[in-house]
Amino acid sequence: MEKGKISSLQMAIMMYPTIVATAILGVPSITAMYAKNDLWLSPILASFIGILTVYIAYKLHKHFPNQTVIQFSEQIMGRLVGKILGFLYLAFYIPVTGGIIRGYGEFIVDSFLVKTPISVVMASMVLLCAFAVLGGLEVLARVAQLFLPAFTIPLIILIFLLSPDFEFKNLFPMFEDGIMPSIKGAIAPSGYFTEFFLMIFLLPFLTDGKKGLKYGMMTVFAVMMTLVVVNLIVFLVLGESTISKVYPLMNVSRSISVGNFFENLESITMAVWILGAFIKISVFYYAAALGTAQWLNLSDYRPVIWPIGILLVEFSFWSFPSGMELGRYDLVNFPFQGLMMQTLIPMLLLVISVVSKRLVKKSKTS
Amino acid sequence: MIRNVSKLLSKTKNIGTQTKQNNQQDLKPQDFLYHDFDQNVETFRSIYVNCFDVMFRSFLLYGKTRALVIYIVGLSNTNGIEDFVLYPFMKETANEEQSFHKLLENQMPVSMVKRINTFTECIQSIATGYPILLCEGENDAFSLGLCKWEKRGIEEPAAEGGIRGSREGFNESLGINTSLIRRIIKSPALKMQPMRIGEYTETAVVLAYIEGLADKGLIEEISNRLKRIKIDGILESEYIEEMIEDNSYSPFPQILSTERPDIACANLLEGRAVILVDGTPFSLVAPISFFSLIQSHEDYYQRPLMGTLIRWLRYFFLGISLLLPSLYIAILTFHQEMVPAALLLSMAASREAVPFPAIVEALIMEISFEALREAGVRLPKQIGSAVSIVGALVIGQAAVQAGLVSAPMVIVVAITGIASFMIPRYAAGMAIRMLRFPIMLFAGTLGLLGIMMSIIAIAIHLCSMRSFGEPYLSPLAPLKFRELKDVLWKSPLWMMDTRPHFTGESNTHRQSPGLAPSPKQGGDQSE
Repeated sequence: MEKGKISSLQMAIMMYPTIVATAILGVPSITAMYAKNDLWLSPILASFIGILTVYIAYKLHKHFPNQTVIQFSEQIMGRLVGKILGFLYLAFYIPVTGGIIRGYGEFIVDSFLVKTPISVVMASMVLLCAFAVLGGLEVLARVAQLFLPAFTIPLIILIFLLSPDFEFKNLFPMFEDGIMPSIKGAIAPSGYFTEFFLMIFLLPFLTDGKKGLKYGMMTVFAVMMTLVVVNLIVFLVLGESTISKVYPLMNVSRSISVGNFFENLESITMAVWILGAFIKISVFYYAAALGTAQWLNLSDYRPVIWPIGILLVEFSFWSFPSGMELGRYDLVNFPFQGLMMQTLIPMLLLVISVVSKRLVKKSKTS
Repeated sequence: MIRNVSKLLSKTKNIGTQTKQNNQQDLKPQDFLYHDFDQNVETFRSIYVNCFDVMFRSFLLYGKTRALVIYIVGLSNTNGIEDFVLYPFMKETANEEQSFHKLLENQMPVSMVKRINTFTECIQSIATGYPILLCEGENDAFSLGLCKWEKRGIEEPAAEGGIRGSREGFNESLGINTSLIRRIIKSPALKMQPMRIGEYTETAVVLAYIEGLADKGLIEEISNRLKRIKIDGILESEYIEEMIEDNSYSPFPQILSTERPDIACANLLEGRAVILVDGTPFSLVAPISFFSLIQSHEDYYQRPLMGTLIRWLRYFFLGISLLLPSLYIAILTFHQEMVPAALLLSMAASREAVPFPAIVEALIMEISFEALREAGVRLPKQIGSAVSIVGALVIGQAAVQAGLVSAPMVIVVAITGIASFMIPRYAAGMAIRMLRFPIMLFAGTLGLLGIMMSIIAIAIHLCSMRSFGEPYLSPLAPLKFRELKDVLWKSPLWMMDTRPHFTGESNTHRQSPGLAPSPKQGGDQSE
């Protein structure tokens, strides 16, 4: 099905923007809403879900080295239940991808191209992603590799440029209401961390599968660090008003001023962020296309790319009546839906496969 | 007889498609020369009927045996034929005991003599400038190494100049080009596979590589692709490039063309293959990556720090050349808030009188600049200055004064123009020039988003491309840390001890490690 091979480093490089790209936009204000000035702790707590998800994905991969979740769920649960489960996954990933595309479109249209129809913004992005997915996994990995520095270096520069505006007293007093607010704040970011389960679609194509776990964990750590840093700089600059902002990182980058010449740089932040969003949508798109082809027992996933692309644009409209609704979904629904589909069900699959293997072994020995 | 000849002709055209139809053909399954001298002469005369430039000179060997020299005027050394063939054989008296072979060895002072026995070979030999000698009583003809034709001398390469480094460039003669390479790489591991491509032109093409460095599969692949070419003629190496490259519809060249022997040799040493084509000074190098196109030979001929800096300057201006007009359009149309107030005011003032939106203004200026440039390339030198004056005055000054174009736009176009000259490879520069226009359109419709979309599209295209199996963006994507030393910066030569990953797999080390200059160096040896 997929002839390309990638290294585990490449997988890590693909996964990092896949999680971070959308998370850095919304997470600061969501966590601030619950955790107030302790918002830096929430991503750390949320990352435990990420570690668990990566571990489950890797263990499942160990049991079924050359298969994705769509294929091995049939082996674990039997043909019929497996097919139903596979369909559930598709019915999860395609609308979720549509939601990500909608989020991207809302962000661009809200903040920059006010007069541009949202369908143009979204459809053009899906078109680009379709080209990347058509190129195959190798091309996707290379593009991610090419864009990773372009995505992370501006983020680092942003921190330096913002340093004059830091108000460290914003952070104190720490743990005023105990640790509970931070835990509540961790719920929404943990939804993003469950997306690490997408690794299951990449792991079968690794040249060095053994390093998969190591690089997966490293990615979780990198994402956690990024979110902590972003949360911190946003709160250091904006303070309590972080809560009221929809895209606080954009508000922050508006306050940059270098030599009274470079000002109002949020367009640049947007331009850089598009690269991350592109990788994120492409990886989800790829998983959806590959999964669909495997579910239908096709020999190649390329024929389903265009139909799924159309579906993605449709779902981006169908899933949410408005941008507000999307925000509510991200905050309230997705953390639980994501946890269910990407951590708990895989855990169940893992337990069943381990137990059944034990039983088979026992029956053989006895 | 005539029928036979026409058979022969058709056979020389379609070598390899022989038909056995009449009896004579059965006797001669290949087009061997006849035993009969007269018949041979007759055949050659009918082959070369209406060929004014082919000379037949018949004479008597020692006044007895009939002989014939066939050559093409202007391709063969006439003086040589007179002095070394006609004179000795006509003057000496016959020595009955000497066999013809002995005679050739002793009496004819020509270094290269080759025995050939088919018409095809004879025709090829005559066409390349080697006269052939036919004698009565001999089944074979002799191809004499007496070719001499007018050729350009070795000159400084016109398209790839430089401050430091060899001033020699390839020229149109294949023999000179191979000798220039051989003069640099003297090891017998340098192999040169000859082949002929083109039904009518029969252009000589040489595939050069270093055995032990170049990947065997790669050489096989290239020579297979070359052999597959069936075409009437090869006039320039671009013909070959288009026939063997991986992706015809990409604006980016996937094969490097160079007229510098040192660049060709540097690539040979990195395990790549060089294709030399007779009749053009441009040799082809394959496989290459995108970065081979934006590196210049001078990066290696100056101090590593300067090399790195200049490389970065080049990368920066590559971006400028691709994006500056689009950024100008996008910022002026969609993101005015990014421009500092003072600058925005002065820009607005200069644009006040301009009737067009920024995108139209930019397109007018860029297109007329491209036209100027294209006009300048092919004009005779005497008129060239007129074009530049007209261009500078009309497009530069008059357009601004007339209020058609704003002054900042002229500056943007000028900087873009200069930036596009920074790219050392003309073909790569062309690709960037071409891509600039669609990006401008996207910038005019979607602003920065459009620019980012175009960049992503170009990146996808570059990432999915391969040149003879080598990923086009290697070593950046896929990332090869060890090779960034020659891409992101230029390390000192003693640090570059490994060859590029893809091309140099069979022999990874270029030099012994630990060559770093240090005070200890001399002492170690003497102890």
